[in-house]
Amino acid sequence: MRKLILFAAVLAVIGFGILQFKKKEPLYHSQSYVFGTLVDISIYGESNERARVVTNLILQDFQQLHHRFHAWETDASGNTSELRKLNEAFAKGTSPIEVQADLANIIRDATALSVKSHGLFNPAIGHLIGTWGFQRDEFSAVEINQATIKNLVHAAPRMTDIVLNERNVYSKNPHVKLDLGGYAKGYALDLALQRLRKEKINHALVNIGGNIIALGQHGQKPWRVGIQHPRAPTALATVDLPSGWAIGTSGDYQRYFIQNHQRYCHIIDPRTGYPVQHTQSVTVLIPPQSVHQTQAGVLSDVATKPIFIASAENKYQMANVFGIEYLMVIDEKSNISVSKKMAKILYWQQPDVQFSTFE
Amino acid sequence: MCNFLRLNNPLTRYLRLGDYLLILMSIIGILWLFNNLWSNEQAAKVQIRQGETIVGTYGLNQTREIQVKGPIGTNTISISNGRARFSKSPCRNQYCIHQGWLNRAGQAAICLPNQISLELIGGTKPYDSLTY
Repeated sequence: MRKLILFAAVLAVIGFGILQFKKKEPLYHSQSYVFGTLVDISIYGESNERARVVTNLILQDFQQLHHRFHAWETDASGNTSELRKLNEAFAKGTSPIEVQADLANIIRDATALSVKSHGLFNPAIGHLIGTWGFQRDEFSAVEINQATIKNLVHAAPRMTDIVLNERNVYSKNPHVKLDLGGYAKGYALDLALQRLRKEKINHALVNIGGNIIALGQHGQKPWRVGIQHPRAPTALATVDLPSGWAIGTSGDYQRYFIQNHQRYCHIIDPRTGYPVQHTQSVTVLIPPQSVHQTQAGVLSDVATKPIFIASAENKYQMANVFGIEYLMVIDEKSNISVSKKMAKILYWQQPDVQFSTFE
Repeated sequence: MCNFLRLNNPLTRYLRLGDYLLILMSIIGILWLFNNLWSNEQAAKVQIRQGETIVGTYGLNQTREIQVKGPIGTNTISISNGRARFSKSPCRNQYCIHQGWLNRAGQAAICLPNQISLELIGGTKPYDSLTY
């Protein structure tokens, strides 16, 4: 009897010891460059091998999307992308061309979102974005040609100029040039979430160029996301991202150039043709959406743009248009405004952060 | 082992079930303490305090000397190769100097007479990913 007890005790101690020393966190983390931006994938609770395989599947999906929907590159074999072919057809006239089903869906969804935003989200202004030099991997200050910009604004390319008949597409306006820069990353996030679920992964965090979607959580705690300070190399605040939620930020500090002490960022007001200068950053949190709606990833990518572009007094209203309840805006004087719900979930990373709340 | 367990073994003759349990609990307790208090995490930063104020937080991935003034004079703190230490101090006992190099998260050294402390902070980020 005593022997048995002692034996069990020794076993228990050994087992306990092994447990304690083997509890290295099962977190897989990978960083790579796809989409011309940093893709950062964390997977929790899977073996390293399994996590690596699934990560590669996601990256392959991204690579494929990138080749198909890239606005200015040709692929390795010199083929122009699907999107570029479409844009060339738009410029030529009104004879329709056939696109893949998913691209047709993207156009349909992007048009609906553009209408919702009263045209402030406008992926049809590819020519304007090109003029500002932001359709290059390495961009630099450009000579600002007022006449060209005026003409491009006057040509008024709109998503509603695009006519979609099943999968056949043409544009009534030859000045329409699709640039999915404000849509594709979010779309890729939703795709990644689908892929993760299909592969039976329960816990992951995917970050594409600052747009993030969460699945499950990080062990016992939810995934925690930092929000970049627009003028300092640190996180301004952190927030816990529940499963299925997405977070997106648009800032004037990632793609921009400075000329004559003026900052020109990559977010262009389609009404004026000029980069927005009254806002430093906009962050939104999006809960999971129902099946037939625009998904959380896309919404987190798209919604920040019209809110960024809208004037200070219209920003909150614009957020409401998209049903957004979690919002943070930082204006050109670094004043921070947050929605009431957002205020409750932010953990400020500096003491005494001053902010106002939207009414 | 079997020999050890025999009842007539002089070592175990007087041990009872409760004694074994006590030994077991002690071992578990020691393991638990060891695991929780012995941090092997390489530190990333050193935080220096003087009195109640934080003088600064410095990355350990550099070589530099930092001078900090206290009530009895100036201490020199050295950082190099992921480590930090007090290297000069006006205090009498030089306890702070004897603490030597610190390199693990959670380690700390203090110069009481001059009210200066070093604390190494881990490389763990306060978040999993960043939206920008």
